[in-house]
Amino acid sequence: MAIINQATKELQVKVVYYGPAMGGKTTNLVQVHDHVQTAAGDKGKLVSLATSSERTLFFDFLPVEAMTIRGFKTKFQLYTVPGQVIYNTTRQLVLRGVDGIVFVADSQYEKMPENVESFQNLIDNLNSIKFNLHDIPYVLQYNKRDLPNVAPIEYMEFLLNNREVQVPSFTSTAHRCEGVFETLNMITRLLLHKFINQGVPQRA
Amino acid sequence: MANLPQLTEEDIQKLDAMLCEFITSTDASAALVIDEAGFLITHQGDTSGFDLTSIGALASGAFMASQAIANLVNEKNFNCIYQQGENFSLFVTNVDEYCMLIVIFKATTGLGVVKYYAATAVKLIARQLKISRKRAPGEGIDLSTLKATDTQHIFRKKELGEKKRR
Repeated sequence: MAIINQATKELQVKVVYYGPAMGGKTTNLVQVHDHVQTAAGDKGKLVSLATSSERTLFFDFLPVEAMTIRGFKTKFQLYTVPGQVIYNTTRQLVLRGVDGIVFVADSQYEKMPENVESFQNLIDNLNSIKFNLHDIPYVLQYNKRDLPNVAPIEYMEFLLNNREVQVPSFTSTAHRCEGVFETLNMITRLLLHKFINQGVPQRA
Repeated sequence: MANLPQLTEEDIQKLDAMLCEFITSTDASAALVIDEAGFLITHQGDTSGFDLTSIGALASGAFMASQAIANLVNEKNFNCIYQQGENFSLFVTNVDEYCMLIVIFKATTGLGVVKYYAATAVKLIARQLKISRKRAPGEGIDLSTLKATDTQHIFRKKELGEKKRR
């Protein structure tokens, strides 16, 4: 959970990019790393724990610093999880202490069962660490919209965003950096609004 | 949200003093206290050559992975991990359920010394965390002055021309 460090005047927040394998989670972080222009001009090093074929093995990690609020630096730590089904334990580990989630879905028609399965897996994994998806700000990103065989947005909304309270969703083509910053800014906005409404506990 | 204590600046000063004493006793290069999410709470020692943010994230992940392995071999948990290097070594140990102590020390320093003093240090750190946990929560940062419009473009995309200039 988010930490306010009174000694260093920092607000630290953890955001996890979740979704099916090969959906574009790592690409999102790479694009943020390559293109971000923060207020302070500070971005950290992108750390990738990947296999030799560039599939995420443990997680990718990118620390980025955003705006200063009342003298507190806001630091966002962006993580991805490995999408492959066999790495479920790893996904549970990365979710620990999460503040916000970006669910990156693959827009290709044939990937719909994997999207739904991954979303259910997210709910199950959050439950396993005693979290509830409804208590955590999250947004949906429908990626790979440049491919020819994509499902209509309405269908993806029906599959993944068919709830009492719908969450913000974005279309994206992550490898061209389209929709990447829109998604990141929205989850950031939701998180800061949550903190405004609920208050952030003073941790340090 | 009760997984971490409400730490004040005074708590941090006490934790820093404990870490300083630990470093003096062991001749370690640096000592860090992090939480399970990988956030850095405080640190002491010569950290000028280290990327502490990444170290915190990776060490937290590695430590929790080792705990998951412990469960698979019917062990309650492995309460520490040790990585040996040619120049520096790393020792990570449990402070309590939610926090860890990371020690970076020269490879020439004996692990036994670090483990010995770490056992005392984690008890003191855990006690301080327990004291602060019992304290009534203080007020959080006031974000009420933040307007909704301010958050729309927190992260800006670099323009192509700007990227080329850099």
